[in-house]
Amino acid sequence: MSERQSTGVSRRGAQKPTSRASGGGRAWLRHHRAMMSDSALRLVRRPISTLLTMLAIAIALILPAGLWLALDSARLVDAELDESATLTVYFDAGVDESRAMSLAAEVGEQSGVAGTRLVTAAEGLAEFQQTLGVEDALSQLDANPLPASVVVTPDDTDPAAVQSLSQRLQTLDGVDEVRLDLAWLDRLQQLAALGQRVALALALLFGLGVLLVVGNTVRLAVESRRQEIEVVTLIGATHAFVRRPFLYSGAWYGLGGGVLALVMLVVGGNWLASPVAALAESYGAQFALPSLGASHSAFLLLFSTLLGWLGAWLAVGRHLADIKPR
Amino acid sequence: MIAFEHVGKRYGGRFEALADINFRVERGEMLFLTGHSGAGKSSLLRLIMRLERPSRGRVLVAGHDLDRLHISQVPYYRRQIGVVFQDHQLLFDRDIFANVALPLTIQGVEPVDAGRRVRAALDKVGLLHRERALPIELSTGEQQRVGIARAVVNKPALLLADEPTGNLDPQLSADIMRLFEDFNRIGTTVLVASHDLALIARLRHRVLKLRDGRLVGDGEAA
Repeated sequence: MSERQSTGVSRRGAQKPTSRASGGGRAWLRHHRAMMSDSALRLVRRPISTLLTMLAIAIALILPAGLWLALDSARLVDAELDESATLTVYFDAGVDESRAMSLAAEVGEQSGVAGTRLVTAAEGLAEFQQTLGVEDALSQLDANPLPASVVVTPDDTDPAAVQSLSQRLQTLDGVDEVRLDLAWLDRLQQLAALGQRVALALALLFGLGVLLVVGNTVRLAVESRRQEIEVVTLIGATHAFVRRPFLYSGAWYGLGGGVLALVMLVVGGNWLASPVAALAESYGAQFALPSLGASHSAFLLLFSTLLGWLGAWLAVGRHLADIKPR
Repeated sequence: MIAFEHVGKRYGGRFEALADINFRVERGEMLFLTGHSGAGKSSLLRLIMRLERPSRGRVLVAGHDLDRLHISQVPYYRRQIGVVFQDHQLLFDRDIFANVALPLTIQGVEPVDAGRRVRAALDKVGLLHRERALPIELSTGEQQRVGIARAVVNKPALLLADEPTGNLDPQLSADIMRLFEDFNRIGTTVLVASHDLALIARLRHRVLKLRDGRLVGDGEAA
């Protein structure tokens, strides 16, 4: 069965003597088709070793892909934070509600302020209780310890601009303290940049790993078909002809590894999804793990297939040179 | 068809496998190449197959100066030559049909056309009924005949055989030689390397005799 496919020659015999003008293109296509299925059959016939190779490739692909996904989710968080890069202006403890309102209006007139939201002492307490879920503890208190505050949205989120705005607000009468959490935002951004580089380095490293895995597997395949390669070379096979089945098996390995990696990412994502959702909910946030979309999945498969092909190409090129009786 | 002009071949700069070989073979000739093992028979065949290049001199085959043949042209050159190996070099993972079809597959011949030609070649060596068998199921003589069918399936202008009867008994050897004569009769140039002198003597063809890398005889019978 496979032999028939590997030769691409029909056994049905000939009723009519067709001309030899088959056209190089058709013969070429025919051999490509034959080698595509033949190399797949060879892999299927040794399912365990094929699966192990694909698994090794999948694991090498998952690490950078998973890190990329994690960074992607960090970027989502980052973007949300960026929009809410606000300053909180706390008023002195003695400021009452009407005074707070006029102060808030004063803050709103400052240049560089895009908007303000007044949080009275009572609202502040309610928000605090809601966010932290510490109702019981706070209800023990006799008086509201929180001051009134105003949340300022700057019209320029550039760290330096926000910094100078914060200094100006600080000098207003009745302002106790201006909080801005830019430092950790900055650090988060730097961390994300670092993470991206790490992901890139890992992708390169593990891409190399895939090349080596496929290269080594194909090298063994070349070795085991040494006699066949010698014979077909002696009877006039071109390099491309000899290389073709190995290139296809490399591509199959890559594609299989890519599919396995996708499956493992989806399964792993689902496995992590409920604890992550629970964790996010405990912070009162809506957060879902990002997943690879259709285009990114397609890219992963294409990339892994190409890597497999390239690994095979490198290995075959090197080892065919050894086998050539030249 | 074949011309050797002052051909010498050294291996590793020391061992001289062939020295100053000169001969011509006309199209349609049949001849033998004899000599003890190590006399240079295999080296000479390897030069014709362009597996190696001469250290000195020129080898011309079918109008090609083999030294000038570009590496990318070598596969196409080899397709014009049918080669029968002493150990037949069949592929044991596929059946007789697929083995014989191999040269046609390499050349991309239409499957229907190829099937017809494979059967014709198998019919010629008397193994048409075994096309589905695996090489391992055949006797040594039958395996050698499959090797011959594979060598002639694309109707090469030149047929080379390296000790084709080396592992066969006299009766089978004679059968094989008769096959070569049949192919020669339809116009194929046949060059057979063999040290089976008794058999060669009976067949009355031109004989090239090698000794220690030199051509010491060129004429009928040894």
